[in-house]
Amino acid sequence: MNFKTHFQLFLRSFFLQTGWNFVKYQNIGLTFVMIPFLKECYKNKSKELPSALTRYLETFNTHPVMASFCFGALARQEKNIVANSAKEKAIEKGEWEAIKRTLSITTASIGDRLFWGALKPLTLLLALFIWLFLDVSFLETTPSLPDHVAYIVSGIVAAFVTFNAVALCVRWIGISLGFNCEPSTCFGLIRFNWNQTIYYAKRIGVFLAIGMLLFGAYHFLKDFDSFTDIQFIARLILISAFVLCSLIARKLRIPNMYLYLAAVLIFNIIILF
Amino acid sequence: MISASIILFCCIVALLELDTTYAFQLTFSRGIVTGPLLSLLTGDLMAGLQVGIFTELLFADINPLGGVLPPSAVICCGISLLLHFFGVPLSIAFFFGVLAAIAFSYAERWTRKTRSNHLAVWEKLIRRNSAFATRLICLSLLNAFLTTLLLFIVLAALCTSTALWLLPHLTERALIAFSFAFIAVPWIGMTSLIASFRLKTK
Repeated sequence: MNFKTHFQLFLRSFFLQTGWNFVKYQNIGLTFVMIPFLKECYKNKSKELPSALTRYLETFNTHPVMASFCFGALARQEKNIVANSAKEKAIEKGEWEAIKRTLSITTASIGDRLFWGALKPLTLLLALFIWLFLDVSFLETTPSLPDHVAYIVSGIVAAFVTFNAVALCVRWIGISLGFNCEPSTCFGLIRFNWNQTIYYAKRIGVFLAIGMLLFGAYHFLKDFDSFTDIQFIARLILISAFVLCSLIARKLRIPNMYLYLAAVLIFNIIILF
Repeated sequence: MISASIILFCCIVALLELDTTYAFQLTFSRGIVTGPLLSLLTGDLMAGLQVGIFTELLFADINPLGGVLPPSAVICCGISLLLHFFGVPLSIAFFFGVLAAIAFSYAERWTRKTRSNHLAVWEKLIRRNSAFATRLICLSLLNAFLTTLLLFIVLAALCTSTALWLLPHLTERALIAFSFAFIAVPWIGMTSLIASFRLKTK
């Protein structure tokens, strides 16, 4: 695949979910992404293009970042379809379908666990640590503006850049790996040890989240001189109650937002009496 | 903020919301980015940051897997900051923001379902002329932008009028209750992060 087509696929991959629908999910987006490559492939066989487009317009659903592996692999298989004789085309098309189905499921599983399950909360924790280290008091009801606006910006930039550095890298490399690697290497997917990466990211995440909770509690309570101060005790009880409620809610699979709405209701009822 | 600025605010909310699903997914739409960005217009940067962090922590346990539509962080931040700009305390504004975000996710699900009805026609047009895919993507983006803009304006009007009507009737005690629930958000969110990192498979 030449640089121009690679770049076009990369740019168009940002619109994979634009035509998202409940029937065939990302099928419109996939077709839109692959059109420059398909036009190049079927330059001399333009009559076969609508039939190729029909295949791309079938159900497709995966993680938007990891989808780049699918683009590369499907492009590679499309080349095989174009190059083969009419008899072998049917077999190649069957393989194309199998690649699309299996690779989309695999990449979706990796992408959801890596990007939504690990990287996004990790970058959030990174930003929270930066803000607390810089004394940005977001835990108070009426927070005051820090000495420098740069303190606020630094956390946002750290989270934004970290997430996108990984995401954009995977988007770009995924296309070339999917296109150049053999099916035996799962189109380049097994070049990375995804499971181990996710495992370590989640392990680090657990430690950071516990650390954040303790560091946050320290920040929330640090201004009191004495442990017997009534406000100190009240704050400590409040934190413990909120943490305990959240743990119970997780056990009962109650989303955070409903717990918050319940808290509004309960506090209003308590205060009423 | 004059009315032109409010319209600009609504347009920026609708633009940022596109980043959630329809285009880019560069995380402009996550709470910690959207909150401070929108607060540049409302003028209270610290409120923007706090609402952004709280929104992200509150919705951290719901991921956009498959057809799941998490409540929109952009709508939550947008409504909260708009109400705060009109003088509603942040703890109450955030409550309305969360309600609006939940309502928006239901409305969004409905609009996506109705959009699916035209799928067969779109596919036919793309097969006939591949250039239609580009036009369709542009139209879909425009449609998503306008739908979000309209929904946000409706939600903002509803929330602002309700909050401003409710505010004089709220006692000092009720304000304290809202504040308590508000300060619970980061602790609820941070605790849920520990659970969300728990390994299901190795």
